[in-house]
Parts: sequence; C-alpha cells; structure tokens
Amino acid sequence: MRKVFALLLMICLIFTMTGCSRKENTASGPVTITVWHDKEDAVIAVLEEAVKPLRPDINVVFEKKSGMTESLKLVGNDKNAAPEMYFFAHDKIGVYAEMGVIAPITDFVDVSEQAGYVPITVRGAAYKGKIYQMPLYFETLLFMYNKKYMKEADIPATTEQLYGYMERKTKYGHYGFVEQHSTPYYAAGWIHGFGGSILSEDGKPGLNAPETVKALAYHKKFVDYMPGETEYATVNTLFTEGMAHATIAGPWFIPTVRAAGIDVGIAPMPIVDETGLPLAPYSGVQGLHVLKVHAETKKAPITAVLTTLMQPEVSNKLAKVSGCAPALESCYAQDDVKNDVLIMAMRSTAETAVPMPNTPELDVMWTVAGSLLTDVNMSGYEVQTAADSAQKKALELIEAMK
Amino acid sequence: MNGKRKSYLKSWMISSPALILIGLIVVFPILYTFYISLTNMNTYHWFNYDIIGLKNYARAVTVFDSGFLEALGNTILWTAVNMAMQLVIAFVIANFLNVPGLRLRNVYKTILMFPWAMPGYVSILLWKTGMFNSQFGLLTQWMEQLSGQMIRWLQNDVSAFICCTVVNLWLALPFMIMIMDGGLKSIDRSYYESATLDGAGPIRQAVSITVPCLKPVIGPSVMITLFTTFKQFDVIYLMTQQVGAQTGAHIHTVITYAYENAFITNNYGYSSAISVMIFLMLIVFAQLTGRRKEADA
Repeated sequence: MRKVFALLLMICLIFTMTGCSRKENTASGPVTITVWHDKEDAVIAVLEEAVKPLRPDINVVFEKKSGMTESLKLVGNDKNAAPEMYFFAHDKIGVYAEMGVIAPITDFVDVSEQAGYVPITVRGAAYKGKIYQMPLYFETLLFMYNKKYMKEADIPATTEQLYGYMERKTKYGHYGFVEQHSTPYYAAGWIHGFGGSILSEDGKPGLNAPETVKALAYHKKFVDYMPGETEYATVNTLFTEGMAHATIAGPWFIPTVRAAGIDVGIAPMPIVDETGLPLAPYSGVQGLHVLKVHAETKKAPITAVLTTLMQPEVSNKLAKVSGCAPALESCYAQDDVKNDVLIMAMRSTAETAVPMPNTPELDVMWTVAGSLLTDVNMSGYEVQTAADSAQKKALELIEAMK
Repeated sequence: MNGKRKSYLKSWMISSPALILIGLIVVFPILYTFYISLTNMNTYHWFNYDIIGLKNYARAVTVFDSGFLEALGNTILWTAVNMAMQLVIAFVIANFLNVPGLRLRNVYKTILMFPWAMPGYVSILLWKTGMFNSQFGLLTQWMEQLSGQMIRWLQNDVSAFICCTVVNLWLALPFMIMIMDGGLKSIDRSYYESATLDGAGPIRQAVSITVPCLKPVIGPSVMITLFTTFKQFDVIYLMTQQVGAQTGAHIHTVITYAYENAFITNNYGYSSAISVMIFLMLIVFAQLTGRRKEADA
C-alpha cells in the first residue's frame, strides 16, 4: 500500500513539473492565438466579439494574467509558455524590446500617423526608431470637479486661481483641491508644466534640472493645503465623499465617482502662470504587442487578428466601455465619440500631455522620484538638496541596471 | 547484497521523493541564485547572459555603505524589540488563557488566532488605512478628539517604527501565543502544587518553573520568528515605502534597503549577488545564535 502511495506521489510530482507547458498548435488545422491581458471584462468582451468572425481558422483566447509583466520576463522567449500577444500599456516596451521579447508591430500592420493614429499614441509605441505596439486607446489624467461645490465661475483657468480657491475653501474638513501629490505619475503634470521632466524620452533623469526644481518648490505650496496622505484610496475617497471640491484623476475613476452620486465636471488643466504652459500629465497608451518567439511561425494569423482589431468600430466600442480615448483619428468624426465630454477632454489634454517614457530606466525612476516628492512635500527637505541627491541616486541605479 | 546494504538503499528510496522536493524547493533556488550572481543577467542581457565571475560581488559591496549599516542597525533593533515584546506579551496572554477555571477559554483563543487567519497584506493595509490614516484612521480621530491636533503617525521615523512594531505584533502574536499555550499545557501541574506547598508565589513559580520548562518547547519557534523578523519586508515596506503611498518616514531594514538600491534595477546578476551576501549574513547569524543556545543548554 505504501509503495503504491509513494508511486502515486512520484507521478503527481512529475505531472506537476511538466504541467506548466502550453500545448503547441500543429502546423495544419485551427490556430490558437493567446492574448495575455490585465483589463476589465467589458473591454475584453468587445475584443472577443470582434475576433469571432475569424473562427474556426483562428481561435483567439484572451487570458487574464495577474503579475503579467513579470511572467513575460520569465517565459517571454519560451514558445511553449509564452502567449502570442499581450495587451498592456506602452511603458514596458523599452524593457521588453531590450530583452528581445517583443517584435516590431510594423512587421504585421502599419501603425503610423499616416495610417490614421493619433500622434501621441505613435510616439508612445515607438522605441529606438521602431514601433512595437498597435494602440487601441489612450488615457490621461483629467481635472475633475464637484459641481455642487465648484461653480462655473470658480473653475480655475490658472494654477494661481486654483491656489486662491484652495486657500478660501480648505477648512472645516473640506479641501479645495486634492491629488496624489507625492506620487510621480500625478506630480509629473506639474513638472512638465514648468518644462521639466522626471525622465526624458531618451532615458535621462531630470530630477535636479532647474525647471524641475522650480516646479517642485511651486507645487509644495499647494501640498500644504492637501492631506498628508498621497495614496490613491485617501485622495479618491475624499472626492467621492464630497469632502474635496476638485481633483486630478484618471478616467478609470469616473464610474466610481458617478456611482457615489457626485455631479462631476471635467475642465481643462490649469495653466501655470509663470510659464504659460498647462499642467501636462503623462498619457498611457494601451494596445497589443506581439511576442518575438511566435512572430515568424504565426505571422499570418497574428496579422489577421491585428487587422481585425484595428478597425475604427472596435476602437469606438472600446472607448465607450473603457471611458478612454480611441487611438484612431477617424473615430473622432463619429457622433457618439464627439459628444462624449470625457473622451473629448482627454483628446484635448492629449494635445499637451506627455507620453510616459517607455525606456527601461523608467522602472527605477518611480521609486526615486517618489522618494524625492515625499522628501520635499512631507518631510520638509530643502528642494535643491533633495533633488541633487535624488538625481545622484537615479544615475547610480540606472548604471546598476547595466 | 547483504541485509544491511538493502535496508540502507530502502531508506534512501523511501526518502527520495521528499529529498527531491526539498532539493527543488529549497536547495535549487539557492544554487540557482548563486549561479545567476556570477552572470551579467539584466534587462540588456536577458536571455544571452554570460558568466562574469565575481564582478557583481565587487559592485554589491558598494551597496554596503553607510546607509546599509544604518539599515543593519535598524534591522537588529527591529528584531530585538519585536522578539522581546512578542515573548513577553505572548507569555502573559498564554498564562491568562491557562488560568484554572477560566470561562469561554476557547472563544478567547479563537479571537486571538484571528489575525493569523487574515492574509498579512490585507492586515497591514487595513491597519495603515483604518487606524493610522490622517483622514479616516480610528486612532487619528481619537487623538484628534482628545488633543485637538491631527497626528500623522507614519510621517516621522520614531512613530512609524512604533506603528510598524504594533502591526507586526498583531500579525506575529497568534503563533507565539499558540506555541506558549501548548507549552504551558505540557508542564506537569504537580510542580506548581509542590512549589505552592513550599511557599513559592506566582512570580517565583513563573521564573523557576514555567520559564525553564517552556524554553525547550518554544526554542524552535523563537528561532523561526527571529529569522522571519530579521528578513521582514512587507510590514515596513507597505506601511511606509510603497510606491505611490510613501509616508515620509525613512526607516529601512536590510531587505528594504537592498530592494530600493538593487532589486528595482532589474539587474538579476547584481541583485542575486546582494541576496547571496544577505543569505551568508543570515547563516553567520544562525550559527552564532545556535552556539549561544548550545551554551545555554
């Protein structure tokens, strides 16, 4: 009996060890294209519907993957385990391109401004002169306000008007304006508004550039009228509870705000008085990427899937369910897109928004820039000293990446 | 083949599945980490890495700077404070749970085990938001009512260290209480009866009977907890340093320091070298603790 039990355990062990691999399609017969993603069900339902006509020759499987970015690093070159495509934001393109995990998307379809893509999406998808992503939609942060408290006349056109509003209204547990002030993704808008940068497009940190230092010092006076916490939950709860009159947040926040019964308005980003530039947040471009390991063997079916999904009607439907702006210019001629305040606000912000850098260096910058913002905004460090120290650390970490 | 040899082979055959499993889960990752530490595996040489000898170790030494020494000091303080408090509090609670005639004993035990049943990540974030948050935290609101001032618990190093210790105690105490409770039950009641007849009070009984009898029982658990606390990452990182939710406190342990100065670089060769060095430090620490235990015995 014991021997049988031991044998069974051995068999289980062997099966466990071999069970991780994915079955490879044979050359003939239906082809399966697997797409890893981290998106909500409504978005994937649109894509699934769109690729249905490709059956039975091509079967597209959308697989939600937690920890997708790490999984791609581990199995990205293993044709038995890696998916054919993945659906994610553009900011990991540099990492995967350097690792040799992804193939240029232009080997399959034409992604360019000439092909009808919004310029910011093409900029986001490009790395070292090659385009690696087929953009589906993009998102930027938006200036949102609670119409119950902030009236039309109060909507700040400039940052000084915003500051004045905060001075007047931040009292009795209410805040005139809140944001994730010490989170780099959110604070980047202020830095760009002064012409500074966290990381340039070619991967150079700009934490102690004069423009960045000036932006940090200026931003600090706004932080003094905001809560001590910088995290997502606190800031957003203050807005949904009606304790904050205005905020800067992404389109993904809108459904929560509406569900909370807030009459929310969207306004253009305030203009920095000193520079005349608007607060320019990062934009994220969501789209499809092809894995190099399948690029040659499954070129035809991958091209067919991409061609199907790059149709304007798919982008339109995606825009509706995601609340984000379509990547194709032609979609903006459609009435339902044209009349959507949220999408059009994003389209307008995209004129000045900065695509998130997609170079590998960005991975270390989130931590370093976050520490710098915390040091300045919450620990009261002198701005220039903190910026010099953060720049030094960023350069050391970037060097350590090699 | 003689009987002795046959029995020797049989014992190896029976142990082999477990040994293979331990080899795969414990030994292989250590050896593989050591192998990677000798390579230039990073973003730019992900699949085509080469062996570069001890270069990563030479670079890793630069991480062991003054910041690292400060983090090492913090780690030792963190381990000492947490261990001391865990032992004392768990000892007191376990003794209360063993008071003869205590009613609803099992209810108290279940409640005390509750933090253990919750995932650590959830508990930590609940404490951070539910207790220490400056807008919605229960403790903050109480303090605001009492003193009229808003306290930012996690903003400075000392109070953040205390808050992290409280959360760690919440997470770790159930284990220690359970072990001590079991240990207390195993002590023969006749020792106490004899001591009472000899005129020993409760404190004398605790010092002369309970503690010596508990020592061998809780020894392994103390060792496990000691190492878990020494290499703690989640409590301090999630409470004060998570990207997008930093609080302004600058308390680093060895692991959080290594994470911020190496692991985020995606340079697996370099990070592995640092991991191996920390692993060696822990081995030395284990040896020293082991020797002390033997000397005590």
